[in-house]
Amino acid sequence: MELLQQAARRAEAAELYVARRQGTTAVFDAGDLETVKSESVVGQALRLIADGKMGFAATTGTKAEGLVEAALVSAQHGDPALFGFHAGGDEPAVGVYDKETAGIPDDQLLSWGTQAVKAIHAEFPDVQVNVQLARGTVEVTLGNTASPPRTEERTYLAMEVEVEWVRENDIYSVGSSQAVRTVAQFDHQAVVADILRQLAWGKEIAPTPTGKQPVLFLPQATLVIYLPLLVGFSGMSVVLGTSPLKGKLGEQLFDPRFSLLDDGRLELGPRSASFDDEGIPTTRLSLVESGVVKGFFYDLRAAALAEAKPTGNGFKGGLLGGDFRTPPSPSPRHLIVGPGQGSLNEMIKEMGDGLIAQNVMGLGQGNIASGAFSNNVIGYAVRDGNVVGRVKNTMISGNTYELLRDGLRALGGEPEWIHGAVHTPPVLLDGVNVVTR
Amino acid sequence: MESLVREEIAQAKADFVEVRWDELAWSKVAFQRDQLMALEESKEVGGIVRAMVGGAWGVALLTDPAELPTQVEEATRLARMASRHVQEPTGLADVPVEEKRHVAELQEDFRSVPLSRKRTQAEEYNKLILDFSPEIVSTSVRYTDTYRKNLYANSEGTFIYQEIPDVTLLLAAVARRNGDIQQAFETIGEAAGYELVQGQEKKAEAAAKRAVDLLSAEPVTGGTYTVILDQQLAGVFIHEAFGHICEADFLFRNPHMRQVMKLGRQFGAPMLNVVDDGFIPGARGNTLFDDEGVRRQKVYLIKDGVLSGLMHSRATAHKMGMEPTGNARSISWEHEPIVRMRNTYIEPGEATFDEMIKDINHGIYAKAAFGGQTMFEQFTFSAAYAHEIKGGEVGPMVRDVVLTGNVFHILQNIDMVGQDFQLIGGSGGCGKGGQMPLPVTDGAPHVRVNEVTVGGR
Repeated sequence: MELLQQAARRAEAAELYVARRQGTTAVFDAGDLETVKSESVVGQALRLIADGKMGFAATTGTKAEGLVEAALVSAQHGDPALFGFHAGGDEPAVGVYDKETAGIPDDQLLSWGTQAVKAIHAEFPDVQVNVQLARGTVEVTLGNTASPPRTEERTYLAMEVEVEWVRENDIYSVGSSQAVRTVAQFDHQAVVADILRQLAWGKEIAPTPTGKQPVLFLPQATLVIYLPLLVGFSGMSVVLGTSPLKGKLGEQLFDPRFSLLDDGRLELGPRSASFDDEGIPTTRLSLVESGVVKGFFYDLRAAALAEAKPTGNGFKGGLLGGDFRTPPSPSPRHLIVGPGQGSLNEMIKEMGDGLIAQNVMGLGQGNIASGAFSNNVIGYAVRDGNVVGRVKNTMISGNTYELLRDGLRALGGEPEWIHGAVHTPPVLLDGVNVVTR
Repeated sequence: MESLVREEIAQAKADFVEVRWDELAWSKVAFQRDQLMALEESKEVGGIVRAMVGGAWGVALLTDPAELPTQVEEATRLARMASRHVQEPTGLADVPVEEKRHVAELQEDFRSVPLSRKRTQAEEYNKLILDFSPEIVSTSVRYTDTYRKNLYANSEGTFIYQEIPDVTLLLAAVARRNGDIQQAFETIGEAAGYELVQGQEKKAEAAAKRAVDLLSAEPVTGGTYTVILDQQLAGVFIHEAFGHICEADFLFRNPHMRQVMKLGRQFGAPMLNVVDDGFIPGARGNTLFDDEGVRRQKVYLIKDGVLSGLMHSRATAHKMGMEPTGNARSISWEHEPIVRMRNTYIEPGEATFDEMIKDINHGIYAKAAFGGQTMFEQFTFSAAYAHEIKGGEVGPMVRDVVLTGNVFHILQNIDMVGQDFQLIGGSGGCGKGGQMPLPVTDGAPHVRVNEVTVGGR
């Protein structure tokens, strides 16, 4: 925090963010171990207020030479500061660290990877299996001229499996992943089981049911529905007027069974933190309750512009987080979609005829802000309540806001984690447009 | 740093070792509506060590030069550990030992342009867009420049120093009418100096006008159409739908895919030529030497309709018995090189736009791109905007146009290639394997394709 003192001598206020990443990643390509990678990386970012104006700069390394000067140049040409740095520091801690996870030996990663490859090849010997396993720690130290520095070390453990199944004139790609804080939460067999289920369901090719169809979005595919909400519920989008939810606080815009919560304080949650990257304590924030818009998530800047309270959602690196190079922006932590009832099988029976969306391609393309989506889908045809095979060359399209208001037939009773960021049950929507070639 | 790198490589106890050290200086100015979202000039350094032992890779990252000796040891240790688990060892194709220094020459070096001037320029474009119409509710104007000083050395004796400039400008407008929100953008990006981003007022106005026009456009009706792609979208198409499957790391370990992507296979009509080139003056994808120290090659992916080349790293070239092409690239010192495109384009053909459109009874003229994604044969990409084609003429604007299909069918269905070639750098970049954005350039003339599936409502 020596840099912070240097900055403090030349500015009215300053805030220093230091991230120290240490970890190991093992990469299996086509079933064979290809690379083991380790990192020892320090990133630093300085914000300061000089002559009433905000400045920012970032760099790497412990010495961070020139960082103070760079931030001062930025401030010199910058705009008046809309907010001061947060004088907090006594918020209760959330569990984000696990000693055993931080110390997982490199060999253990290799062994999990090998097991996954073997288990998949035992049932599908001809598929190409790519596995990535990573574990490590990110230690964040945040200090500012308003309060003493705080440090939080956070562990992570992540597994990602991708399988390519190539047959004559057909290539089928499936994927599954898990991101957790602790080895106790880690279930590598569940990732493999999910892959095996996708391979089994996609073995046969089936004709696409076209037109306005019921579509059962499995948790992985629900991201296509939720992505517009990430933009819509961002306090900055509301301030800028690019959110369709602007001015809709308290209005019933969704089906009464739909609820959405951003929980930044989930004990040992994969994206939990005691404080955000601006030092604001994280919160449990209700976004939608019984279909009614309840709130938006803010960082310090958006909160200042909206004259709202910051919600502890100021994180670096945008929606995915983790990059010291960018200033904080509003970012949700764990989006929790309230579950309904019924197992996956019961939902498929309930649907009768329709389409299951396993995953989509081209996530994030198109006019997300308006809620519109139009994506190539990896999915399965359902007839008389049974999965009959995989569809090809199929696109689904619709509008999130319209479908979650008028088209929600059912929410499942068995939520799952997606990328450690979204906890959602399968979602059955009526009236999704399905086209095929 | 040079002497430290040479010294540590000489002492490494691996079969092969390489060190890459980057010094980056960048500046960024971003506005959204009336908000200055970014204004900075920052610098960073970082390095990556790759060691090979027994055909397995160990990799170690560092941000402090003093850690180089320990990270060379760490990479070697990891490679040794990995080598005990490897079934099929990785080999590296032979390449000439290179010793080269390349200093970039810029017309107006953006490093000596004061941050205040960059801010003023971006602010002017931002104001142009905001003032265009009361229906413009927000903007996204972003200027970036990056100057990368890149040092590469390996234990075979190759030593390369190169400077890589990159400058981009994004001009985006968001328009709103009642509940409907539409956006439009123009982008530019080149390996150039500050001169590139000046005098772009027309592009700012074009983005603003289009965002407003899209408010009155109807969503496209889904179905199968004959589609004319403009240069920008055709460029994205050839990059996304075809370029990615010509990256050898994608198929070199998969016998099925190697069979599908066999050189000599007919992929399209004889007038179709597709190239990936490591150097075109000013292009963002320029890679004189790639991140394995390999000198650039110009690769014909499709020549006269026939698959005639793939893009390689040293490892994929070794495995497939081919020559490395200089396509091993990484976005920064944080990542190991993987097979990536550089400047990828469809060569111009002979058709005029009038010849393409005149006999289309009901089709789509799809323009510019929001993005695209592929899953081997399956691809999907979205046009930023489009027009209906009716009775051989360009009709009303339509929106939400997403194209999808099977790349092999689509390539076969390209029946006309235009003369009006353009190379487009853009302000984004390519993403693959968690590495995003990598500066690349796409290019093409207008291209006509039959039987394209268009998603819609």
